[in-house]
Amino acid sequence: MDRELISLKFTMLRNTTPGLRKVGWVFGALAVLATWAVAVLASGDQVRASALTLVLALWGLGAAIGPVLTSGAGVLRADYFALLPLPRAALGRGLLVSVLVSIASGFVLLALLAVVVHALVVAPATVVVVLVGAPLTWLLVVTLSRLVYGLLGAAMRTKLGVEIAGVQFGLMFAAWFAGWMIVQVAVQSIPRLLQDGLPEGPITTVVDALPTSWTVLAVDAAAGGDWSRAGLLLLALAAVDAVLVLATVPLLVPRGAAVEKRRRRRRSPGLVAGGGILPATQTGAVAMKEVRQWRRDAWRALESSTAVWTGAAIGVFAYLGGYTAPAAPFAGLIVAFMLGLSGCNLYGQDGSAVWQNVVGQDETSVRSDVHGRQWAMLIVFLPRAIVVTVPFLLLTQAWWTVPVLLAAIPAVFGAAAGAAILVSALGVSPGVDPRRRRGPNDANGNIALHVWIVLLLVPVTVLPTAGMIVWSQVSGEPALVVGAVVAGLLNGIAVAWALARVAIGYLATRMPDVFSRIRYGQVFRRSDDDAGLLSWIESTTLKGEQDLAKQKQKQREARLARAGR
Amino acid sequence: MADEHALELIDLRREFAEKVAVDDMSLRVPYGSFYGVVGPNGAGKTTALSMAVGLLRPTSGRALVQGIDVWADPIGAKQRLGVLPDGLALPERLTGGELLTYWGRFRRLPKDVVAARTEELLRILELDEAETLGTLVGEYSTGMRKKIGLATALLHAPKVLVLDEPYEAVDPVSARVLTRILRRFTEGGGAVVISSHVMAMVEQLCDRVAIVARGQVVADGTLDEVRRGASLEDRFVELVGAPEVDEEELAWIAS
Repeated sequence: MDRELISLKFTMLRNTTPGLRKVGWVFGALAVLATWAVAVLASGDQVRASALTLVLALWGLGAAIGPVLTSGAGVLRADYFALLPLPRAALGRGLLVSVLVSIASGFVLLALLAVVVHALVVAPATVVVVLVGAPLTWLLVVTLSRLVYGLLGAAMRTKLGVEIAGVQFGLMFAAWFAGWMIVQVAVQSIPRLLQDGLPEGPITTVVDALPTSWTVLAVDAAAGGDWSRAGLLLLALAAVDAVLVLATVPLLVPRGAAVEKRRRRRRSPGLVAGGGILPATQTGAVAMKEVRQWRRDAWRALESSTAVWTGAAIGVFAYLGGYTAPAAPFAGLIVAFMLGLSGCNLYGQDGSAVWQNVVGQDETSVRSDVHGRQWAMLIVFLPRAIVVTVPFLLLTQAWWTVPVLLAAIPAVFGAAAGAAILVSALGVSPGVDPRRRRGPNDANGNIALHVWIVLLLVPVTVLPTAGMIVWSQVSGEPALVVGAVVAGLLNGIAVAWALARVAIGYLATRMPDVFSRIRYGQVFRRSDDDAGLLSWIESTTLKGEQDLAKQKQKQREARLARAGR
Repeated sequence: MADEHALELIDLRREFAEKVAVDDMSLRVPYGSFYGVVGPNGAGKTTALSMAVGLLRPTSGRALVQGIDVWADPIGAKQRLGVLPDGLALPERLTGGELLTYWGRFRRLPKDVVAARTEELLRILELDEAETLGTLVGEYSTGMRKKIGLATALLHAPKVLVLDEPYEAVDPVSARVLTRILRRFTEGGGAVVISSHVMAMVEQLCDRVAIVARGQVVADGTLDEVRRGASLEDRFVELVGAPEVDEEELAWIAS
């Protein structure tokens, strides 16, 4: 059966878009090369051993958290097999074996074999130890990866899973935005690592205790003549493998349907049509719906959590970066900025539910919808920005940033909320309909242009505030400082309102077209419609979607051609 | 002429690239009628109804709700329409009650009216228990989705109801409740248009029928006019055509 499962898995992988996976292969290959480079370039035996243990520990960590980032195409889910007459133990084993046979796991094995270099240098006979130890470590790392993935419940089904994925995405974005800070630290420390190894102390003790290091330790022991210690270490590794496999297999086989239980507390019928604190107006209704979507929709929850962790990570980078430390409180601005990126496809994320905006249209419905969505974004993101800012403010004691933040936060929030809603309206990207979403990456289609427009629009529209802040900081006059704060607030309100107005003007006559883009992937309109920047954005984003669809169609045809051969 | 029909489709046409999904379709739905639109899969029922309620721009032709052109005065027409589309998403992360509250306020109904109607609709459609459990619309079964969709269509007390497959996956008890609601609606002078595959049900419910095939109305009128003495199903198969099933095929099933 193992063979059938492996072939099923590769068939599924063939039927998915290879784009991101190819990027993953490149990074995987680079990581393998880096691991071998560490083994080859280290300055001495001691240094090589400690550097290798650290790198292998990083591989273990990466494998443990990595799969959460991918949407899990090609992961054979246990429930596929729930109806088949298969023994549970055999199925569990087969599913685990199917995880071991993959490109990613091949990279892991190649990286772990870098210990061979160490063995060859210290004592060629100890290569035997590596030939036993590396596969054992490989089984450990890959099983651990599957165990963590299983425990997180495909990562997105629980609040904790969303939060963990948020940390990962946050680190990724932070690395993009402020990667130079990490590069700076890495450039300083890698030569030191290759020269001196890990500094003796608690770190080495911890790293040595990790099972990923035991092969290296066994090589050292065997090289020193203590073959029995080497054997014991390998046995211990095998024992850990056995425990992990035994813990993982039950997670892989189908379980009875989980009992659905959402709330501990029964809701009183009186609350059903609940009052709520938001005003009982059309705008209030939209805001009410949106705030709940932001909290309950796994994708949106991930976006808002990513915004927080991106801000927090950049704040930490800045705080640890020495001279950049006083800038750490500006992390809250990153949260505000991320709002613009998170909200740049709101209508697309609603998917075909947009039909309600079409059939429910009245004189004010479009305006209420646009403003309600903006209010919801503020309600969701503003507290998060404050939560990220305050700790850094207290840590750095950089009180001079307070007036700057008071001016900049409202300005960036307004600009981001305006840019997001406008781009959402012009460039609806349906992705997967909310009813059919499985993975967290299903919510958006092709939003490359959306992101660029927001990235451009936000800085440009906050220029007045930026100017006021610079002027007030240079002159230092209290009146100007107050003026900057007022300017920031007005700037934010004005941009949010003005961009929303453009969006409203656009949507007022085109709500059915927005629905058409989602439902039919095209817009049915007469060709005599106006040309202009808005139409350009509309048609360019639509073309992006259609190109994506065409590309998928081509791949499908190529597959059919292959299958027919 | 303006107010003669509750809903009127005039030469509606929709082309998708080279394919003609709806081919100059015309229909007249009188006040107080219970109108069934039947047809095989892919006949253009959903596409035609989408154009009639303002969801899909027609290539040509018009749709009038109480004489108001859906595409010339969408707001006026939509205030008179209640719509249940087939297979579209809802705000999936709301409970049924939250959805109706949102929908009622979005439709600008007064707060207490929304609260009272929401409570009543959830109770009558037997969605109240799911509500107390906090079940989200995304977790509803197919039948429950139909029911909450119907509730949103009824909430603002429209004059014309356009329901795509309203009885699909609805249990027999709920179906009876639904029928009672719709009958009361037509007795009050409102018009109901439903699409369906289930001939027996259309025969039992509707007083008027249109059979749609290949984007065109091939027969319409009162039930008896369309049936011409046969059963609706026989008439339907006669007009639409059915593929032959060979005696030899699938013989192994009976072995």
